[in-house]
Amino acid sequence: MISQEIEFFAPKLLSEALALLQRHAGSARPLSGGMTLVPMMTLGIAQPEVIVSLNHIPELDYVVETPEVIRIGAMTRHRTLETNTLIRRQFPLLADAASHIGDVQVRHRGTIGGSLAHSDPAADYPPIMLAAGARMKIASAAGERWVAAREYFKGLMQTDLRPGELLTEIEVPKLAGKFGCGYQRLHRIEGNFPIVNAAAVIEKGFRSVRLALGGVGETAILVEVEKHLKNGLSEAALQSVSDAAYAAAKDAPSDLNGDSDYRRAMARVYAQRAIKLAAAALPAN
Amino acid sequence: MKVPIEVVVNRKPHHVEVDTRTVVADMLRDQLRLTGTHVGCGTGSCGACTVMLNGRTVKSCCILAPDVDGQEIMTIEGLADDPHHLHPLQEAFVVNHGFQCGYCTPGMVLSALQLLNENPHPEETEIRRGIAGNLCRCTGYQFIIKSIKAAAETMAPKK
Repeated sequence: MISQEIEFFAPKLLSEALALLQRHAGSARPLSGGMTLVPMMTLGIAQPEVIVSLNHIPELDYVVETPEVIRIGAMTRHRTLETNTLIRRQFPLLADAASHIGDVQVRHRGTIGGSLAHSDPAADYPPIMLAAGARMKIASAAGERWVAAREYFKGLMQTDLRPGELLTEIEVPKLAGKFGCGYQRLHRIEGNFPIVNAAAVIEKGFRSVRLALGGVGETAILVEVEKHLKNGLSEAALQSVSDAAYAAAKDAPSDLNGDSDYRRAMARVYAQRAIKLAAAALPAN
Repeated sequence: MKVPIEVVVNRKPHHVEVDTRTVVADMLRDQLRLTGTHVGCGTGSCGACTVMLNGRTVKSCCILAPDVDGQEIMTIEGLADDPHHLHPLQEAFVVNHGFQCGYCTPGMVLSALQLLNENPHPEETEIRRGIAGNLCRCTGYQFIIKSIKAAAETMAPKK
């Protein structure tokens, strides 16, 4: 059993949750799927005194489209993103990434908002958020604000979220028809976190290119490669992408899955693979 | 802190006083005495604690008991309608030697049920992905996969 005494709240409305998080700012943790937080509590690594469960707030669980964007509620489960027809059609990168997270049981319960709030440096979503140019909606009892993905990830498991605030929505642009996308991850065992992952989003005619890497630093990072691909794919362009990825991965950590040099070498490989995949997925004409 | 919850387990409503620090797996085992749900790692890796929550498999060691207030759970004890007969999946595991020590079996069977509910004719790779969240340290998985294939044959509507 978890040793820390917990005061538990299960609000049914977002407004109630935000009021609770404000009242208990500092001692409260919002609980979404709990796939990381609950084991951390069991192990005594996290010891929140107040839990505000978001699992009973239907208004945070949705996938909807507007003419330009897809809006994803923070409590949308990974399994929903993996199987949702709108996501699969308009943002297949995200469906693909979601399908690699943990296992079926974890994907049934874990949420995109929980994952992005936890912000593991090798998680599947962050490079995709960066490459796609996503925006995060952050709410508190005082109001709402929007943060671009590139401003959101701050450090090792650190985000722009402040005490009393909640990530409530992820907004991603519709990419189908105008962009080619690719996502690649290096892992040894089904369901494990990637050791290195890479996401690429290329606009038709190589008008814009965004490449992001995960697992090679304290947060996922964007790698500047657009200038190398002005004239499309070539051996020389891919070599430049590889060199840029290697340079950007200079702070890659060492652990039992691989040392820093290995991760930097894999950053080269996975950056090129993601770019090649995205280029191959570019819509014709 | 103790809170009262209402939870439907195996189609029966239960009123339970739970400590807010309790996870669902411990509530099922210690308070409802449904010991078919096993706890292996306690941290979401092994899948021995798999149950169905509102019809979808989850790891019950990673969900706080107060969070299932008003929800519906099915454990391995609720799989067969009649206590004197096995569900076709259980039958297939017995016939095909789909377990040795049996510790992972309740979770394996429920993961297999989830898979076959969504995909009545799975390929072997789909079976392997379907049980990726369940560790077995005895069988090497071959007989488990054989059991699930056999269950698919008997359970699925004929093609």
